[in-house]
Amino acid sequence: MKKFATAVAVLALMSGTAMAQSVKIGYITKSATNAGWMMINGGAADAASDDGAIELVTVGPAFQGDLSSQLEVFENLVAQGVDAIAIAPVDSAGVADAVAGALAAGTPVVAVDTGVVGADVTSFVATDNLAVATIQGEVACGLVNNGDKVIYVTGNQAQSTGQERRDGFYAGFEKACGDSEVLVVPTEWNSQQAQEGVEAVLNANSDVKMVVNAWDGGTMGAKAALENLGYSAGDVKLVGFDGAGDAIVAMDEGWVHADTAQMLAKMGYEGIKAAAAAARGQMVEGRIDTGTFLVTPETSAEYKALIGM
Amino acid sequence: MSSSQSNNDVSPSAAPANARAAAPSDAGAKAMRWVVRFFSAEWSGALLAVVLMAISIEVFTAGKPFFHPSNLLTIFNNAAALGIVAAGMTLVILTAGIDLSVGSLMGMSAALVGYVASYWGFDPVLSILFGIAMGCAVGLLHGSLVAQFGMPAFIVTLAGLSIWRGTGHLSTGAQATPKLDDVFNYFGRFNPFSPIRQAYKADTLPDWLSWLGALVDSQWLDWLRTFQMSTVILFSFYIVLAILMSNTKLGLYVYAIGSNEKGSRQAGINVKLYKILAYVFCSFCAAFAAILFLGRAPYAKSDYGMMWELDAIAAVVIGGTSLFGGRGSIWGTLLGVLLLKLINNGLTLAQLNTFWQMIVTGLIILIAVGLDIVRQNKNPLRVRQMLIAAAAALAFFAFVTPGSKVVSSWIVHTEHKATVALQEELAPQFKQPAPKQMQRLQTPETLQTYADAAQDSALPAMLFGALSLGAVIMVFLAAPILIYGLMAAYGVALVLALALGLGTVAPFLVLAMVLLAGTMVVDPLFRRAASLR
Repeated sequence: MKKFATAVAVLALMSGTAMAQSVKIGYITKSATNAGWMMINGGAADAASDDGAIELVTVGPAFQGDLSSQLEVFENLVAQGVDAIAIAPVDSAGVADAVAGALAAGTPVVAVDTGVVGADVTSFVATDNLAVATIQGEVACGLVNNGDKVIYVTGNQAQSTGQERRDGFYAGFEKACGDSEVLVVPTEWNSQQAQEGVEAVLNANSDVKMVVNAWDGGTMGAKAALENLGYSAGDVKLVGFDGAGDAIVAMDEGWVHADTAQMLAKMGYEGIKAAAAAARGQMVEGRIDTGTFLVTPETSAEYKALIGM
Repeated sequence: MSSSQSNNDVSPSAAPANARAAAPSDAGAKAMRWVVRFFSAEWSGALLAVVLMAISIEVFTAGKPFFHPSNLLTIFNNAAALGIVAAGMTLVILTAGIDLSVGSLMGMSAALVGYVASYWGFDPVLSILFGIAMGCAVGLLHGSLVAQFGMPAFIVTLAGLSIWRGTGHLSTGAQATPKLDDVFNYFGRFNPFSPIRQAYKADTLPDWLSWLGALVDSQWLDWLRTFQMSTVILFSFYIVLAILMSNTKLGLYVYAIGSNEKGSRQAGINVKLYKILAYVFCSFCAAFAAILFLGRAPYAKSDYGMMWELDAIAAVVIGGTSLFGGRGSIWGTLLGVLLLKLINNGLTLAQLNTFWQMIVTGLIILIAVGLDIVRQNKNPLRVRQMLIAAAAALAFFAFVTPGSKVVSSWIVHTEHKATVALQEELAPQFKQPAPKQMQRLQTPETLQTYADAAQDSALPAMLFGALSLGAVIMVFLAAPILIYGLMAAYGVALVLALALGLGTVAPFLVLAMVLLAGTMVVDPLFRRAASLR
């Protein structure tokens, strides 16, 4: 025991700073395989290794959108006695009771990316989907003429993220492009559905000028659809959402014309930092906005530098 | 077509009595035999469903050319990967087995093939062979566990569903690869005509071929633009497989094992070997489908093929193959896959609300399987009931638009009233309602808009609702005299609908009347078919 204490003291001296109180944080992500979520998860891991005294327990649901398995994981973590929880709720309202229970038991809860409706959280770290999607809609409208036919590839319409992005897009787009017909390709965050749907709609409507996507998996699916139909880069404009790496590469090749990036890695980073601060009893702001970045061919170099691409 | 023809022939005035007795008017008898043969084929239910689906999409998606060749070819292109997975599944199901792992295996193969091609410097052809070899090895493992150790196929492949998805994610870090080598295009988006067109455009085509170049170029936009290797491979694969199924021991024994495993063993068939072969073939198909999928996808990734096992099983069953094994056909499966893709494509073109699309997809699958059940039943009563049920469904489709207005107005008013009541109840206790509960409170204007819409739609909603309900009741009564009454009711509804300016529902009602008229010829047709036997 004494030996251990000495070792800790030596380590603390070596690092040159006072050792932060070591905390165990449960991080419940929404997906471990989706490109955007992998960036958020990467940011979370970075926060833990930068801090040095955070033990991060990362768990994901069995498949994206599975509320029941997420609730199960949440309760297991609370039962294991983690010091704080950072969660990306699969469903805003669905996790409310569990979150209220954890807070009542004294475990701080930080919501990442998606808010919680029906219960307070210690902090909510996210970009505002509705606001960013509104910007996306406005920018998209600037790329075409009012009256041009466009395709919108949705996310899952049974989840709040998908609903907010759609509502935001329409709100922004219809401000100045009210005469345009928007043809909808519904998906459940599945790039194959995006690809098949865009192919079907493009075949029947050769006058489509632009495909706007609710996430960059859809952007890549739409790009594949255009390639499958023999279009070249720029024939039909693509607008993305997320600022995922492959979409930025496609932008450099001339396929994608605008992409509203959420600062995904920053979101994960700030989320874990806020959770650690709360676990150590420090004050945490109730709402941390991680902002947005509008990536266009002009700003793509700046964005790539920012995310380290 | 054939039914009207045979109708003319049975009419007594068509020919002198003795002539009819001698040769029951050859053309009619021939047509009748064709009809009987058609309906005794396992794939006929699926074909009927595909044709009906295609026609209804064409009729009800206004101004959007569904039957455009490039759209049909796109459906084939996108059906290719699932079609090949389902072909493998058919063999396993014919042996009375099941393979739930195909979606995961397809995802793992796609991810690993892309991975070794992108990061290990494998030659594209070598990585494709690697993927297919790995698929076969997985099939050998599944098949051995099922046939050699007698483990239930459902459990073995359910475990596979989880294991192979996990392996795919783990080995590639669930990261997408960069864009793949062009060799993969030859399994997907490559258009065999595009080199000809390019040569023609660049004027490098030899003279004796210039007519072909001109032809290709002139037909490019309408016909050939979406003619891709996916479609070519899909149909070639099925043709080869169909020949193998009817000419090799594997094809024969798969049916034998499925219908009577014990008997097959006693007859000297190496049941274990052929069961293992069926699983190996199924896994091979999943791995091969992954290559086809990569030929059209933006990159390789381990989350491809989610839920494909369910789509593949659905396609096999829609195609008339029995889940209990021993009965079914490869061609039915192809039609089942096409039906599923047709539904997707058609509903996207129809721009139906997302959640309605889910409901309609389920209903169409039920109708397709219902058609097959009626076909197997060979009972004129069931056929009549099916026709009346279809007429009821058509009246229901006419009901949906006005009906949903009435129902949503009712819901909005109910929600509003309940919220007001809740507020009044909580106010004296100084309590707050739960968040989002107040969302259902409406402004008087909104309530009025809903009420007005409901009032305008009340009459058509009641009319079509009653019609649909009447037809449903008639399914159980099915007395001829009542059906005449029902037909008259549809006629009246049609006139009323046109008078009310609801022209869009006219095709539904006309089609329903045709179906009801069809119930009258079911019995004569069956009698005639029986007399020919």
